[in-house]
Amino acid sequence: MSISYWRTRDRYYRIIGSICENCKSEFFPPVYTCSKCNSTDKSKIKDKEMPNQGIIISYTVLYEPMLGFEDEIPMQIALIQLNNGVRLVSQIVDCKIDDIAIGKNVKRVFRKIKSESKSGQIWYGYKFRLC
Amino acid sequence: MKTKTKVSITGYAGYIPKLRLPTSEIAQIWKGGGSGPNKAKSVANFDEDITTMSVEAARHAIIMANNPDIGAVFVGSESKPYAVKPTSTIVAQALGIHKTLAADFEFACKAGTEAMQVITGLIGSGMINNGIALGVDTAQGRPGDSLEYTASSGAAAFVLSSENNHGLAYVEASTSFVSDTGDFWRRQGESYPRHLSRFTGDPAYFFHVESSVRTLLEEINAKPTDFTYAVFHQPNPKFPLEVAKRLGFTKEQLEVGLLNPEIGNPYSASSPLGLIATLDVAKPGDKILLASFGSGAGSDAFSIIVEDNILNKRKNIVPLRQQIDDNIEINYSTYTKLRGILNK
Repeated sequence: MSISYWRTRDRYYRIIGSICENCKSEFFPPVYTCSKCNSTDKSKIKDKEMPNQGIIISYTVLYEPMLGFEDEIPMQIALIQLNNGVRLVSQIVDCKIDDIAIGKNVKRVFRKIKSESKSGQIWYGYKFRLC
Repeated sequence: MKTKTKVSITGYAGYIPKLRLPTSEIAQIWKGGGSGPNKAKSVANFDEDITTMSVEAARHAIIMANNPDIGAVFVGSESKPYAVKPTSTIVAQALGIHKTLAADFEFACKAGTEAMQVITGLIGSGMINNGIALGVDTAQGRPGDSLEYTASSGAAAFVLSSENNHGLAYVEASTSFVSDTGDFWRRQGESYPRHLSRFTGDPAYFFHVESSVRTLLEEINAKPTDFTYAVFHQPNPKFPLEVAKRLGFTKEQLEVGLLNPEIGNPYSASSPLGLIATLDVAKPGDKILLASFGSGAGSDAFSIIVEDNILNKRKNIVPLRQQIDDNIEINYSTYTKLRGILNK
């Protein structure tokens, strides 16, 4: 696990984003400035765990994945809109290629993202699966 | 063993990976046909291990328990992803819990009930108010070995608590019986366990389970007919039925919690998942016997009494049966790739 991953592990483990208490807007990844009301008041921008569920807005299936993910092909990647309106990109797991579709409901799961090597550390984080 | 104050179960959840390997696939490769003693076994996907399964089970158990302050996160397993680095701290971090005890337990297939017993003691002594005990494994079986048919994956989580008004059941008493018996082991650095075949029966499983259950029955002055349900460790479909018969329990008392035919033996999660399947259908007032077995060897036996709250608490959970039925079948080739046996 890299130092930067360790520093932001709650972001990957629990989808910790931000809420602006001025205008109630929510963000992921976390923000220092609210892009809705432009507030920079640190006491008003708080950490917040994002909802566990959402819907698929768009998706793609990768057959030529990034280095380190070769064993995972075909890899399903989706743009997801969480129940609070926040959008993020995530891998969809535990489903056949034919089952994934725009508009389907998904829920967050905690999974291994990658291993540095056989003797290295394991990186964990969020993925989604159909529900 | 009884605690001085009442210790309740306020939440529970099981996690069974979606993938299933029919044992006919294994038999086809190694015997040319037929099947194993069980129909299928659950298999962890490429990105699942005991940490991920623990987090999933724990998260749902804590929700069922109404998000209490957790004072202990204990993970019982024999398939830790790290030889040195606790799984329990990763689980605690993923749950957002920090002011807590955290430890990994290992006692072959009874590490989960061991964790339950220790948390029961910590709560009973007043040291903590709530704790979460996990039994979880991605069990290993050497290709071609008889273990390969049953060794499976799964997780079970229980939130135990002193807050008895939230209890869905309570621990009436528990016992433990151990001896130095080398029926099954895995040396440091080895990928697969070894076992002594038939020796795993009478001197190991049957002797220890019978001993812990008989001690429990004596301690609480109960007889098998006092229990609505009984759950025994399930290394295969046959052993729990046989030990039940020897102890005077009926097949009907076991049926609900007997999951081995459909998911195999997820080691530390085996009997705890059987308890979860039982709690999913139990009624207030029902008495449940839970008896684990861990090679090496030992057995923990619990008497658990179901309370009225279970009816309300069950309304918002997904029954374990649904996870068992919602599955994707894989073939032996896929299985070997997922288990790291087949590499590029």
